[in-house]
Amino acid sequence: MFQNFQDKFYLNFIMDDRWKYLVNGLKTTLTVTFFAVIIGILLGFLVAVIRSTCEKTGKMKILNFICKVYLTVIRGTPVVVQLLIIYFVVFASVKIDKTFVAILAFGLNSGAYVAEIIRGGIMSIDNGQFEAGRSLGFSYPQTMIYIILPQVFKNVLPSLGNEFIVLLKETSVAGYIALEDLTKGGDIIRSRTYDAFMPLIAVAIIYLIMVLAFSKLLSILERRLRSNER
Amino acid sequence: MNDNDVLIKIENLQKSFGSLDVLCGITTEIRKGEVVAIIGPSGCGKSTFLRSLNLLEQPTGGTITFEGVDITDKRVNVDKMRQKIGMVFQQFNLFPHMTIKKNIMLAPVKLKVMSEEEASRKADELLYRIGLPDKADQYPDMLSGGQKQRVAIARALAMNPDVMLFDEPTSALDPEMVGEVLDLMRELAQSGMTMIVVTHEMGFAKEVASRVLFIDEGNIKEENTPAEFFSNPSNPRLRDFLSKVLV
Repeated sequence: MFQNFQDKFYLNFIMDDRWKYLVNGLKTTLTVTFFAVIIGILLGFLVAVIRSTCEKTGKMKILNFICKVYLTVIRGTPVVVQLLIIYFVVFASVKIDKTFVAILAFGLNSGAYVAEIIRGGIMSIDNGQFEAGRSLGFSYPQTMIYIILPQVFKNVLPSLGNEFIVLLKETSVAGYIALEDLTKGGDIIRSRTYDAFMPLIAVAIIYLIMVLAFSKLLSILERRLRSNER
Repeated sequence: MNDNDVLIKIENLQKSFGSLDVLCGITTEIRKGEVVAIIGPSGCGKSTFLRSLNLLEQPTGGTITFEGVDITDKRVNVDKMRQKIGMVFQQFNLFPHMTIKKNIMLAPVKLKVMSEEEASRKADELLYRIGLPDKADQYPDMLSGGQKQRVAIARALAMNPDVMLFDEPTSALDPEMVGEVLDLMRELAQSGMTMIVVTHEMGFAKEVASRVLFIDEGNIKEENTPAEFFSNPSNPRLRDFLSKVLV
């Protein structure tokens, strides 16, 4: 039994340096996730501020409309379809790095969810905080930056963390545009060795470890942010 | 009366929310060093009136002239004006993510009215004045209601305002904490600060105010010195109101 396991391990990971599929795939997955998260935060943040500013002050109506369309389209269609459209339709006639396409697609997708998380955070802050800021002489943007957003960030951190965990796992569909991410790496090994168990379980374990590590980091950050409150 | 002493001149101030007229043409003047108490039944528009003075409510008609400038004019920089108009809220509205001292220092430092050191010195001074020097590094959630409101007053004072607006500053407090806040406000009045106070504390109005306004149905129905106002009310609605609140 143990001999059997050893043989399979050798076949799937050691022979022909097949472990490299997993390592390179992991690198791609992490790269895509990392940059998609950054795009998602920046975009989500921007959309959230525009949306809540419009709701509170009635300004920026046109931008608000554009944001609403963006949210509707992104949240109304599957991420795989968005990925395929960006790769095969938008960039159909140009040769383009698949990693870049994946970053763009997942970033745009995540931005919509982050936007609603942050907007919820802004709306949950008592209006008295805005009024206190304005009454001291802060402009609307200054009130946002110094008073509202620091509180929002702390409040939405758990939901944001959740969104990033979802994003990390969601990148596993990047194989649809033949990007060799972690999932695709495991799948390639499977197609070479005709063994499904080993490579797929290995892939699953790697995802699990990444998510666990990320959750841990997040809870440390949360605790640190909460330490100044009773 | 010397015209130079007028700090805020309010002319025909109107505010409506949709079809509901809350303020129906209020006209009055606030002079430097005055302590004006505003009383009236709930829903009469007294808070709306106060909040119009620093444009937290945008008036729908009339003018407010603050230190010679019509602040209802769209071209006026409202943020600059508000730096000179301190405001204290019923619900304190301290910034929960900052220490007490940071709460006080935030506006002067970020609005570049003072350097970091100046603001720090000013904050220490104010904390001493409100009797809470030992709370500098604590967070608002650790304070009692009365302490929070004293800090809120200090936060407004840190900007060296020319006038202080109080929107029912003691209404959200437990009864035993009302005194400490009123004491601080009394001290502030004695120091010569111009104050406009919306309040239900008739004792405070009687004793500290230099003038009392009775607002009802969106207008000033009676204004007088506290002595005359309380002993000799002429408006029947005021008489009715006073008979209910003064037991």
